[in-house]
Amino acid sequence: MSGSRSIVKLALASPPVSVESARTQPAIQVSNLSIVFDTKRGQTIAVDRVSFDVAPGEFVCIVGPSGCGKSTVLNTIAGLEVPFEGDILVEGSPVYAPRPDVGMVFQQPHLFPWKSVRRNIAHGPRMHGKSKADANAIADDLIAMIGLKRFADAYPNTLSGGMQQRVAIARALANQPRVLLMDEPFGALDAQTRAVMQDNLLELRDRIKATIVFVTHDIDEAIVLADRVLIMSAGPGRILRDVAVKLPRPRSSSIMVEPTYLSLKKDCLDVIRAEGLRAFNQSDAS
Amino acid sequence: MQDGTSAPQKIALRTDGRNRRTDSARLRRLNILVGALSLPLFVGLWELASRSGAVNMVLFPPPTVVAAAVLEWIRSGQFLGDLSASLLRVTTGFIVGGALGILLGILTGQFPVVSSLLSPLFHILRPIPPIAFVPIVILWFGLSEAGKLFLVVWGVFFTVWLSTHIGVQKVDRGLIRAALMLGTPRRQMLQEIVLLGALPYIVVGLRTAVSISFYTLVAAELAGTFAGIVYRIEIAQQNMQTGQVMGGLAALGLISFIADRLFAALAERTVWWR
Repeated sequence: MSGSRSIVKLALASPPVSVESARTQPAIQVSNLSIVFDTKRGQTIAVDRVSFDVAPGEFVCIVGPSGCGKSTVLNTIAGLEVPFEGDILVEGSPVYAPRPDVGMVFQQPHLFPWKSVRRNIAHGPRMHGKSKADANAIADDLIAMIGLKRFADAYPNTLSGGMQQRVAIARALANQPRVLLMDEPFGALDAQTRAVMQDNLLELRDRIKATIVFVTHDIDEAIVLADRVLIMSAGPGRILRDVAVKLPRPRSSSIMVEPTYLSLKKDCLDVIRAEGLRAFNQSDAS
Repeated sequence: MQDGTSAPQKIALRTDGRNRRTDSARLRRLNILVGALSLPLFVGLWELASRSGAVNMVLFPPPTVVAAAVLEWIRSGQFLGDLSASLLRVTTGFIVGGALGILLGILTGQFPVVSSLLSPLFHILRPIPPIAFVPIVILWFGLSEAGKLFLVVWGVFFTVWLSTHIGVQKVDRGLIRAALMLGTPRRQMLQEIVLLGALPYIVVGLRTAVSISFYTLVAAELAGTFAGIVYRIEIAQQNMQTGQVMGGLAALGLISFIADRLFAALAERTVWWR
């Protein structure tokens, strides 16, 4: 583990990364990440020495109870929050601030209410110096991909929650990010819409080939979507288990009734239950 | 047994519903009729009361006398002069006060240092009614137009400043984070996100300021001037021309009503995404 990291640091020292090393280098490396919050009662450790790698093109889900710091980890990879300790490398270079090769979709769509669907999606390319025509062309391609052609000129407040979140995903993809971070993007949607959105995301993912880190508290959602599931514990946030999901692709949410799926889910639930009991007994003892 | 009880109930419900619907339609028609009659009824009663001899007709002239006074006011050419003088004061005061309010509201809302410097001062000055400044304005500016402008600007500024300040502060942090993730440079955040996010608040502040600008206009013209709607009311009062006084009041009400409606229509277009 530490060996592989030192190789990457060497690669970093000579910036124009060769094609060969780019192929072997993880898309995201999180090493010994700790995050501490200042509260009224002093400092609270939100995330405690978390380390993991994500391979290029991999789809990783982070699951855990609310308050386990999974969103904080994501925000730190995004460059929106500063780590207390530890390093984060994306595509081999350290993250200090939001950067163009990392896109993010939040739990709320956070669409710009004064911009039409097209102009919301074109915002990123415009900010990166693309002409209006080029940015609109990129936006129109993505609008077709998310199936909202009829709504290209609509304003966000006229769209349903699911449609808004599709626009938010398209908007993040407009910058062609190498890494896409998703923070419980379907958490606020109803169950039916959520299933449709999961299938949409799986289809979309085959076309965009970005590395995806997806945070959720829904174990089903995690297994349906991911190549790997990281199970986190709460207070302080740690990674309990790194589960490989070796289910065939292309997948859809109908996989949830397969026996292999169910045994995988049982493994995950066992880990979560054991941790829940441990935390409960600990709070009982103290 | 069950069928026997449920069937009549259904019928009863249905007729009940139909009755209620016709009742509400009748009520709506009545309301429209009463609304249309409201003003003529009021004016008619006023005319009768004034001419009945129960009140002094000189102090409480009937609408016909008021209308004659307004016609005379218009015919003499004074009305146009008074109207343009008043409108000029209100609009320049509104534009200058509004522009200053928006500018400083953005500065105090966006930069905590500027807010720490200016907000305490503004919060102390804001609650003082603009009318209270009339005496010192006369000392500073005499009866010049600058003094009138100062009063209207003063009244408009604080309302617009406060609503802009709050609007800037209330801009959704989520939008700013989303914009950051999309590569929006921090120096463009103001024009791309903050200004538009605060726009609904700014528009509400400006609309409140429209009526405030008319309040302060009254104070400004009472402080002494040579033309203007309120000035004319004051002169007519000194000459016991009660009809002219009432006509002036009606004109003032009508103008500020039109200004408010115009601004409301404009505001709807300004916040185009709603």
